[in-house]
Amino acid sequence: MKRTPLAVLNLLHERTRLLVAIAGVAFAVLLIFMNLGFQGALLKTTVTFYDQIQADIFLTSPQSLEISTTKEFPRTRLYQAAGVAGVERVMPLYLESLLWRNPETRLSRAMFVFGVNPQDPVFAMPELQTAAARTILVQPDTVLIDRLSRADFGPQTVGLETEASRRRVIIGGQYTLGSGFAADGTLIMSDQNFVRFFTPRSFDQINLGLIQTSEGANVPAIAATLRQQLPADVQVMTRRDIIQNDLLYWLENTAIGFIFTLGVIVSFIVGTVIVYQILYTDIRDHLKEYATLKAMGYSGRYLFVVVLQEALILAVTGYIPGFIAAFGLYQLTFQATNLPIEMTLNRLILVFILTVIMCSLSGLISVRRAVTADPAEVF
Amino acid sequence: MSILGIKRTPLAWLNLTHDRRKFATSMAGVGFAVLLMFLFTGFKNALYDSQVQVINRLNADIVIINRLKNNMFVPEPFARRRLYQARAFDGVAATYPLYISDVRWKNPVTQQTRPVRVLAFNLADPVLPLPGVQANLAALKLPNTALIDTRARPEVGPRKAGVVTELADRQVRIVGTISLGTDFASGNGNLIMSDQNFLRYFADRGPEEDERSFATADIGLIKVEPGADVDRLVQQLSEFLPNDVKVMRRSGPGNSFEAQERDYWRESTNIAFVFSLLTVMSFFVGIILVYQILYTDVADHWSEYATLKAMGYSNRFLLGVVIQEAVILSVLGFIPGMLISRLLYTGASNAIGLVFLMTPERIVNLYLATFAMCLISGAIAVRKVQSTDPAEVFG
Repeated sequence: MKRTPLAVLNLLHERTRLLVAIAGVAFAVLLIFMNLGFQGALLKTTVTFYDQIQADIFLTSPQSLEISTTKEFPRTRLYQAAGVAGVERVMPLYLESLLWRNPETRLSRAMFVFGVNPQDPVFAMPELQTAAARTILVQPDTVLIDRLSRADFGPQTVGLETEASRRRVIIGGQYTLGSGFAADGTLIMSDQNFVRFFTPRSFDQINLGLIQTSEGANVPAIAATLRQQLPADVQVMTRRDIIQNDLLYWLENTAIGFIFTLGVIVSFIVGTVIVYQILYTDIRDHLKEYATLKAMGYSGRYLFVVVLQEALILAVTGYIPGFIAAFGLYQLTFQATNLPIEMTLNRLILVFILTVIMCSLSGLISVRRAVTADPAEVF
Repeated sequence: MSILGIKRTPLAWLNLTHDRRKFATSMAGVGFAVLLMFLFTGFKNALYDSQVQVINRLNADIVIINRLKNNMFVPEPFARRRLYQARAFDGVAATYPLYISDVRWKNPVTQQTRPVRVLAFNLADPVLPLPGVQANLAALKLPNTALIDTRARPEVGPRKAGVVTELADRQVRIVGTISLGTDFASGNGNLIMSDQNFLRYFADRGPEEDERSFATADIGLIKVEPGADVDRLVQQLSEFLPNDVKVMRRSGPGNSFEAQERDYWRESTNIAFVFSLLTVMSFFVGIILVYQILYTDVADHWSEYATLKAMGYSNRFLLGVVIQEAVILSVLGFIPGMLISRLLYTGASNAIGLVFLMTPERIVNLYLATFAMCLISGAIAVRKVQSTDPAEVFG
């Protein structure tokens, strides 16, 4: 049976207004995308470096909040963990920050430092896998510097000498890591150098314990065993746990979570208002037709479905340009700020669902008038 | 209008208010666009303003800091004797040292530790003229006491007098409150204590932490005598004092501590980019909202406009009407938008402890944006009226 596509025709009737309506929805979609995108990107920068740390299980002090605010705990716990079946290798990670002097401007800035045993495969960056890199790391007062550190830290030429926390330091090489919110730049140095730079810190107090499990081991089971066997002065977290923990910290303890969530909510409300205006005007304009339909015997339900259809058509047609524009703006933002802003499938789906809810909600509010239209009154 | 002696029908006003309900929706539409712009510019400004609020409350005209301290995050103190040297200059009325340290605070309810910032000074010095400080001077003199910021983040637990918990693994008793707010460098909030107590907590914190003493201070406050030339004094001090310290005005544009902090945040974060982009987008959303409103109005009064044209009114007159509607909408939509934003600012400020300021300048700027928004929409919507051919409408 061929039915008149009433919803489509109603919308198409007034082309310009339809275009504006779609633009309105698209902008609301775009705003939601941008808010979520910024939030996601800011959070993501804080955990990207976990991708480069080669460990399945992490030990931290229960007093640690996230990677840049950790509390030391005894290295002994790591050795205890080494005795658990399925644990292949344990590696201590020392964390601290120092003031790095830009040799050109002579201004110092805080740099985040990873102290590692040069023999341990802590990082996955290709630059660190060579024997040459290990030789560089073992030299006194020599460090590797992150290419993605802020430009304010100055030149990164190999062999360059400058001052870090009142001590001479030599750049031995570079790697690519990135650090986001937690730090402006990072360095990697040997544990020996770490103790030199940060006296009176000792090897016995570590910030993060990294545990690699053997091939095919059941990581959650090993983590559970560790939790059972180790005293309460350490926390055992899988890779997923620790990333989740850091993300939650930034989301809940900084303004990032609040600000962008509020942005999404307000954008959603604005979108609802825009769609409501369009549908309401449409209903008003076609009130006579709606009343005629009712007089002809169409039920209120039918009219309800028509308005809802219009809402859904607006949702879909507004979503597509909104999404495309957001995609473009994501690229632009990445080029302008280097924020790792990315379109994820989850976000695509989430925003689509929000758009549909937004449009349906406006539909529901505006439809009342059409449903209650009494033919006798209208004429 | 007759009051003015001009007997003219206020067409724009009547057009808008003709349908009360639609008028309300229109105002809501403009109001929402205004709200969006206020929200995003508000966040941007709050993130910047919050960083400098402690600085701006210090009772000083000039500050001395370590040359390395290019923002409040850098925990580099300077030699306090520089402050004594500064005292010898003509025009310097008084100097006060301020000690700052980041430290762990144990939430007494959850037993979780959270970083907070401690501000400490000699209680005889009027370093931070906050009412909470003045009222609790006597109590602050007792050992292991401090004031807590009521606007610290909820993670620190109850923010009231009487709380007893641990600070830097040592007992601390909260004897009163202040109202200051948080920023990026303050962790979860601020505590205030006497310099004597500062030594108790920070002189010996074990091997992992730096020890503090009165030999170094974090910020040196200089109060100048009335009528003294502050800029000249800054220059003299900079020339005379050794290179390990930086001397600046406390606040104001140019070479000041406040400006340095603002610059740091402007340059090292993407705050400006992120929120400016969102504000521009809100502006476009506003154009669309207002256009819809005006367009519907034009469409509704289609035949009336055509009649006016047939009667001989020029396009300019019709343009004038639509522009008038745009202006009325911009004013009437701006007011509720601003009022709701005010509420939202208060709510957000209470929720996250940042300062949300609605300065006259910011209000004027946003009103101008709203006005431009309405004008652009009006200009687009009016095109249809101008091309109206009476013969066609009544064809």
